[in-house]
Amino acid sequence: MAREATSPVSPSRAATARGGGQAASGHARPGHWRGRRARGWLYVLPALAVYLGFAIWPAITTLRLSLLTWDGILPPVWAGLDNYVKIFRDSALYEAILHSLVLIVFFSVIPIAAGLLMTALLMGKVRRGMTFFRIVFFLPQVLPLVAVGITWRWLYSESGVVNQFLDAVGLGSITRAWLGDYGLALVALGLIGTWVMSGLCMMLFLAGAQKIDPSLYEAATLDGAGAYRQFLHVTLPGVRKEITVAGVITTIAALASFDLVFVTTNGGPAGQTNVPGLLVYRLAFNEGDIGGASALAVVLTVIVIAVVAAVRYFTRDDAS
Amino acid sequence: MHMTRPARRAALAALSVTAAVALTACAGAGSSSGGNTAQKIDVLTTISKDPVTLTLAYTNDPPTKALIDGFTKRHPNVTIKPQMTPFNDYIKSIKLAMSGDAAPDIAQYNPGAMNSLVPAGLILDLGPWAKAYGWTTKFPPASIEVLSSDKAAKQFGTGSLYAVPGGLSVLGVFYNKKIVKEAPKTLAEFEAAMQKAKDAGQTPLANGALQVGGFHLWNALLNVTGDINDYRGWVYGKPGSTIETPAAKQATQTLIDWAKKGYISKGASATADADALAAFSKGGSAFLITGNWAASTLETEMKDDVGFFLMPTASGEPAKVASGASVAYAISAKSKNPNVAAAFLDYLSSPEAAKIEFDGGFMPVDTKAELGATGLRGEIATVFASVAQNNGIVPFPDFASPGMIDKLTPGIQGLINDKMTADAFLKSLQESWDAHHGS
Repeated sequence: MAREATSPVSPSRAATARGGGQAASGHARPGHWRGRRARGWLYVLPALAVYLGFAIWPAITTLRLSLLTWDGILPPVWAGLDNYVKIFRDSALYEAILHSLVLIVFFSVIPIAAGLLMTALLMGKVRRGMTFFRIVFFLPQVLPLVAVGITWRWLYSESGVVNQFLDAVGLGSITRAWLGDYGLALVALGLIGTWVMSGLCMMLFLAGAQKIDPSLYEAATLDGAGAYRQFLHVTLPGVRKEITVAGVITTIAALASFDLVFVTTNGGPAGQTNVPGLLVYRLAFNEGDIGGASALAVVLTVIVIAVVAAVRYFTRDDAS
Repeated sequence: MHMTRPARRAALAALSVTAAVALTACAGAGSSSGGNTAQKIDVLTTISKDPVTLTLAYTNDPPTKALIDGFTKRHPNVTIKPQMTPFNDYIKSIKLAMSGDAAPDIAQYNPGAMNSLVPAGLILDLGPWAKAYGWTTKFPPASIEVLSSDKAAKQFGTGSLYAVPGGLSVLGVFYNKKIVKEAPKTLAEFEAAMQKAKDAGQTPLANGALQVGGFHLWNALLNVTGDINDYRGWVYGKPGSTIETPAAKQATQTLIDWAKKGYISKGASATADADALAAFSKGGSAFLITGNWAASTLETEMKDDVGFFLMPTASGEPAKVASGASVAYAISAKSKNPNVAAAFLDYLSSPEAAKIEFDGGFMPVDTKAELGATGLRGEIATVFASVAQNNGIVPFPDFASPGMIDKLTPGIQGLINDKMTADAFLKSLQESWDAHHGS
């Protein structure tokens, strides 16, 4: 299914490039045309080889492995759809998917809202120091997630900074080891994602908003639109494409999250923060069940593609 | 054009999830040749003086490199090339290495890897050398029992011997002598000491239930409440074994009670083992349940203020059972010099190696060796020797099946958070056991 999703991309690009070349050269002879075509493929080849070798081939292999029973060493045995039946019968999968859907709120919805708010506040008002803001808000993206995770684990711990702050402002009664709290661990984990993703969203939206023609704002002002209406009718449509991109990137980060969860809670307490990526890892590397892990990875891929398709559908531009 | 970009991004990111699994997996597919060497090997307990070079794949150091140095000093004609792999990658890498053509002669034993390598015939049956060298008396019986398995590597404590240990470990309780004056002798005294620490506003027990600390605590309790043969049979995968016993339920209930009484904090679920160790070493708790591997860190940090005891029994008689693991070594079925490799394995049981093992932070294989140790590690060595000589060392519970650790860690977190009953916890463990061994 990975092939289906990707194949329209490269050929259509190649076709456009080819068409463009053809138009420029006017009435080209067929032989000449074929030569150009071959040369075109030659240029694409290095990237194509990397793409086929490191993206398409592993995906096909994963699909194949998901139909086998294999421990990584002994000869694999054909299992048909057994691996899929097994994982769909396990309630752990549904819990993990549910958790990752909750994480979408924290990794995607809140960061996009926060990013838009920051954009509205900064656009056109801050003239100096914009670079400073960008660097500060983008910083979480530059840090390795494992380092981020361990740092947040300490911040959230019983005697960590979060609780010290709560104590200081008189909220000592609600302090706890946040990531160890049965009910709140997922929320605490999600907020780390919010922290990581908000800066990225803001960066994207600011870049998009800077392309908006200032005359649109002037026209809106003349028509009597206030800051809120300007944001709603000028800025928001102007960054629609950026919202789509941010939505897709952050949703994937939520659904395919692994590293952050692995180092902060490892699915705990008592499986309250299990996500599909963790289950894939455990099946493959703790239990040596390559087939089951591959099947789960395929299911995860399908879910990611479905959710991403939905995100793109809801943020589509009707005009074009 | 613009609309295709997110689609490709999505597909790429999704693929990268699957790629990790596939890449590791397909790398193995090509080289999974079985190495079932049926040829007869002449078993010798002496090695020739000709120059020989062996390779040894390992993940734990100490003691590996020091043991190699010790052995090659004794046999100058032998060169052993160490190949180190970090622990997190060891299972994957050793599986591939051992099934490849240039397999290392000696490999550090790992149960997770052996359940593929032994059935594939890639690990040498050490039976003939064990007999020739008399290893059953040279190594503590429990320490080699756990390294013996059937051909499917599913049931342990039976069948053939596939590795011997070069350093042992033992699970127990460390206490801060500034907070607790004397090591408790009974379980009731232990609870009283924790209550006293709690009343004084201190954390009674630091615990890293995010990782292995939680089930190590449960394991230590089970060791003193349960029957050693029941537990050993279950961990070894003896047909018909179960963990759903009254003794296991009692141990689990004790853990729940301790959590309810506040001896273990709810925050333990989010505490890594290293963080629990750090908290204890800074005087942040009265007790810490972990293994002797923490001793050198604690000795450096706390000097004479730290002591060690085995989880006390209810009656007060000295504990006879404790959990422990080993750093053990197996020989490749593809090795061209199995007799030299076996000589290295035999060396591990020598008094000379015992010193190296002990200095590396492990408990020595030769439990009678004169170590001249004082302080904390001397204390540990003393209690360990008495348990080991009584054949009382048992494996950790995650040994029972490959997926067991993913039941144990979340299960204990459920118990600590009062979200799981003792029965449900034991049932989840037994389900993992049944799935692997067949009920």
